[in-house]
Amino acid sequence: MAVILIVEDDIFTRDMAEMMIKDWGHDTLSASDVEEALLLVKSPRRIDALFTDIYLKKAVLGGCELARHAVELRPELRVLYTTGNSPTNQMKALFVDGQHFLPKPYTPDQLQNSVRGLLAA
Amino acid sequence: MTDIAFENQGKVLAEIAASEIVETIPSALIILDRNLNIVSANRAFYQTFRTSPGDTEGCHIYDLGNRQWDIPALRTLLESVIPHRASVEGFEVEHDFPTIGLRTMLVNARKIFSPGNLDGSILLAIEDVSEERAARADSKRNWQLTQSIVDTIRDPLVVLEDNMTIVTASKAFLTMFGITEAETRGRRVSELGQHQWDVPALRNLMDKVLPENKPIESFEIEDDFPGLGRRVFNLNARKISQPGNHAHRMLLVFEDITDRKQRERDAVTLANEISHRIKNNLQVIVGLIAYEAKWTAAPCVQGYKSMQTRIGAIAQLYDLISQSSKGPTIAVDAYLREIAKTMSAGLLGNTSGITIEVKAEALDIDPDLAVPFGLLVNELTTNAIKHAFPGGTGRIVLSVERAGDQFEFAVADDGIGMKEKDPAKIAEKRGADYVAIFVRQLGGTVVPFVVQEGSGTTIKVRLPFLLVPPVVPPGHVEGMAA
Repeated sequence: MAVILIVEDDIFTRDMAEMMIKDWGHDTLSASDVEEALLLVKSPRRIDALFTDIYLKKAVLGGCELARHAVELRPELRVLYTTGNSPTNQMKALFVDGQHFLPKPYTPDQLQNSVRGLLAA
Repeated sequence: MTDIAFENQGKVLAEIAASEIVETIPSALIILDRNLNIVSANRAFYQTFRTSPGDTEGCHIYDLGNRQWDIPALRTLLESVIPHRASVEGFEVEHDFPTIGLRTMLVNARKIFSPGNLDGSILLAIEDVSEERAARADSKRNWQLTQSIVDTIRDPLVVLEDNMTIVTASKAFLTMFGITEAETRGRRVSELGQHQWDVPALRNLMDKVLPENKPIESFEIEDDFPGLGRRVFNLNARKISQPGNHAHRMLLVFEDITDRKQRERDAVTLANEISHRIKNNLQVIVGLIAYEAKWTAAPCVQGYKSMQTRIGAIAQLYDLISQSSKGPTIAVDAYLREIAKTMSAGLLGNTSGITIEVKAEALDIDPDLAVPFGLLVNELTTNAIKHAFPGGTGRIVLSVERAGDQFEFAVADDGIGMKEKDPAKIAEKRGADYVAIFVRQLGGTVVPFVVQEGSGTTIKVRLPFLLVPPVVPPGHVEGMAA
């Protein structure tokens, strides 16, 4: 069982991801933007992995910035990015080392495979 | 022989030698006495002015040939200049001679003195430079014409010498960059402004234009330009030659594509934004289906999952279409390769023993049909992956080739082979209903095939639409009635 922080500005999509991940036996935390997510990252709560959308509200590459800050604060943190856009070179250059990527729309099976791979890495 | 006789003989020989030299000189020569009477002239003079020694010698220069040498400019030379100077060089006289027409003459004059002739004679060397002057005038007119053309071209441009210095710049260039002609002439492009054009890649390309006759096509430079702000320029350069002139120059055109570039960027931003929203909405749909599946009886769950997978496939196809797009059409081979790559990554992974290959001719597809075509590829390939290789290893080949006036798309695997001949009868198992629908949507037909168990499966579909660009009849010009 792991604790996964889900950062997604679309409430329905975030709730569905939480529901799926909980179904697989993990705990979740959730946030809708970078600031909210960083508050959780800076808190003493256990977080094993970050599953973040890249385009967060007005922040076009907000998920990338969040992941970089989060990994600075928690070097062991694993990161799974998702986005509805095709990943650009600019985007990829901002990815943290050892990241995983899951394009939208993802199915529950694809998310489960990605989370499994993320936690096994 | 006495000394006097020896001296006389020497003088005679010297005069003969001088006379021979004078006769061989190509310039027309005449010697005038102090009263401007012609003492003698050389062969070149007689030939040039079509006259003879009899009509010439002893004649006053102005009376020569019906007074055709009574030229104001020559009078100025002989009466006002020569009396005060020992020699004059390069005095230009233009005159319309009745015998030889309009001529431009370059006259060199020198006073010559000999023992006993203290007043001096005048030696006139007359060179006919008419052709040279005409050529120079032609060149000047051509240059003026070229400059006029250059100035009417809206895109800024410069003409460079082979040493890369600017010979001329168009008015559009001077206006756009706010500089004067004097500030450009003789300078290198790389030295202009704040050295925005001093780019190594551009220098390398420019160095090849003249020696290798290698034009520069669409070299893009984006920078801040004084007085202009942020601009994007497209640079094109080519060698220009003038017939009969071995010197070559380079024409360098600066196309301001800032607005076009901005429109393209806006379009990309908009497309990305739309794509982002579509994908997010598709994600919501997939989420809804996932939620329904959660509360659905187990036998139905697989159906919901298949639905989610196909929604994902449609979303991926939009990405692949944009990656394979080349203007109004989509390259089939690139599109198939992208689909194969995506399916390999999504369904097979790096460690799979199943490979997907593409063998496609260079054909284009109508973008409106790209999605159903992609879904057809996806459905057939997914079937092969799921059912053809129970051992986990094998090869799938996606191919497109011409078949008469149609095109044949095939998915071939070297797996265990099908047990049922008609794909429609195995719809539940292999999604063949979808295959039939996509084929019908594309206006195609499934080619009947012979089932041989154990020897793989090849499903072929004939498609009428693939090649998009219409064949234009020779001589047809778009927009003009035949």
